[in-house]
Amino acid sequence: MADMTTEHELDTIDVNVNIGPQHPATHGVFRMVLVIDGEEVVDLVPHIGYMHRGAEKLSENMDYRQAIGYQDRTEYLAQFNAEMCYVQAVEKLAGLVPPDRAQYIRVILAELNRISSHFMFLGAFGTDLGVFGTAFTYAFRERENVLDLFEEVTGDRLMYAYFRPGGVAWDVPRDFKERVEWVCENALVGAMDLDKLLTDNEIFIMRTRGIGILNAQDAIDYGATGPVLRASGVQHDLRRAEPYSIYDRFDFEIPIGTNGDSYDRYLVRLAEIRESVKIVRQALAQMPEGPILPERMPRLLRPAAGEVYMRCENPRGEYGIYLVSTGGTQPYRLRIRSSCFCNLSALKHMTVGHYVADAVTILGSIDIVLCEVDR
Amino acid sequence: MSPDEKDDKPAEETAEDAAPAIGPVADLFKTALPGVSLEAAQGALDVLITIDGKDAHQVLETAKNDEALAFDFLRNLSGVDYEDAGLEVVYHLYSYTHGHNVTVKAKLPSQDPRIQTVSDLWRAADWHEREARDMFGIVFEGHPNLVPILLPEDMLDHFPLRKDVPLAPLEEWQGEQLGENMANAGHIPPGSGFDVTPSAEGE
Repeated sequence: MADMTTEHELDTIDVNVNIGPQHPATHGVFRMVLVIDGEEVVDLVPHIGYMHRGAEKLSENMDYRQAIGYQDRTEYLAQFNAEMCYVQAVEKLAGLVPPDRAQYIRVILAELNRISSHFMFLGAFGTDLGVFGTAFTYAFRERENVLDLFEEVTGDRLMYAYFRPGGVAWDVPRDFKERVEWVCENALVGAMDLDKLLTDNEIFIMRTRGIGILNAQDAIDYGATGPVLRASGVQHDLRRAEPYSIYDRFDFEIPIGTNGDSYDRYLVRLAEIRESVKIVRQALAQMPEGPILPERMPRLLRPAAGEVYMRCENPRGEYGIYLVSTGGTQPYRLRIRSSCFCNLSALKHMTVGHYVADAVTILGSIDIVLCEVDR
Repeated sequence: MSPDEKDDKPAEETAEDAAPAIGPVADLFKTALPGVSLEAAQGALDVLITIDGKDAHQVLETAKNDEALAFDFLRNLSGVDYEDAGLEVVYHLYSYTHGHNVTVKAKLPSQDPRIQTVSDLWRAADWHEREARDMFGIVFEGHPNLVPILLPEDMLDHFPLRKDVPLAPLEEWQGEQLGENMANAGHIPPGSGFDVTPSAEGE
């Protein structure tokens, strides 16, 4: 009789819980179906594609310069990084070499964009974990500084379309150096504020440490890149491993984690803000005067027939452009290798075995941009 | 006058004509796979290895497990539609052990393209292969869950990234009047894809 009672108490059924697509914790239009046993997640089925706009097909029906704008709309939190990857892919095929000044402008803006993207993560991640408001306000205060600068340079707050194959569209404002230095100082203050607010916060640590562990081997197998990979202890950064543009001229550290959990992913991103400021300051000091586009630029680009897979280290990982040209004015095939798409495929592996509330933490710690996942 | 308003010189004239030397990875592949016919070429960044679709799994398995190759990271998997020349599945690989890259291109026919899955080698291939099926209709044999990922669940026989699928005409998605005005003002460049009329209505 006593045995039967015990058996009945333990007898539970699995319940499906749907989260999203319209849910603040999913960071966009993302849906996941959790199969839960009590509070524990036993299976997870992610559903993506709600934001699929066919960016690849559209780019294949435009000329090379028109397709720049689609990069902004794909990766809307790290637009300069995405544009940089695309224009470099075109340059590789067209045989264009941007002048030095343009290279420095690109690196400065791309690194500032990394800072603003990581601030977005820190704010949103704090909110995911219940530090409601404060983290978001601190992070957005600094992000606004960066966006104001970008608006001053490009004329637009979010959709810049400022980089060009061969250089940049126009030169930066006269007070650019002072403005960037001011933004950098503030970014460091912001990083310190968030560091004080979150890093030693006991609730924050309890909710992130040991949650969503991804070891190095699994991270590589799932194709995870960027902070997710580095938090697992793999010291790999494309800016160092396969330096593109002028990244071989700068001295910076590659922060890595040890446990591969959500806390380490947070720490890696926080440290990367400081490293990006280092790069920006070195670039500012080295930036020469001069032209921003090559002497002879064709009005309509016709890159030579061929193909290239250009990859860049974006805030969220390896962003790749696989470009096939047949010598025409439009890309024959333009494939966007999305960093979040691959990182997100490891979500199930990271979440199974944790509680439902941790699923939100883990999803937040991957830092997804759904427009980039779905393209 | 800004620099890009100058003359219309095509870029290929400035590009080097001489074929560049092929990287050492190509020889490693030839040594590791003596019985397989593969063509090697040097791309803008990586070595390109072209193989037949039938050999794809064998080549990629060797690429992953051979000690000299050790490609443990599948960077990217994509389909390309070369119309009359058939389809291609393109694998971009990287080795964290050796720090080298390779691009493997597997050729497939346009009609009923089938290739063996590599999701057993890299779990990253799982989602990429589902996307390639969505966009090109390539069937990855042995894939554990080959269902649409980006497209709607019931969209099983329409492959939008194939070259025989044109974009809808501009009028259809921006309103007839606007499209007409833009066409009259000469804003639609010929060959931009917007002027393509779909071959069959209600496709």
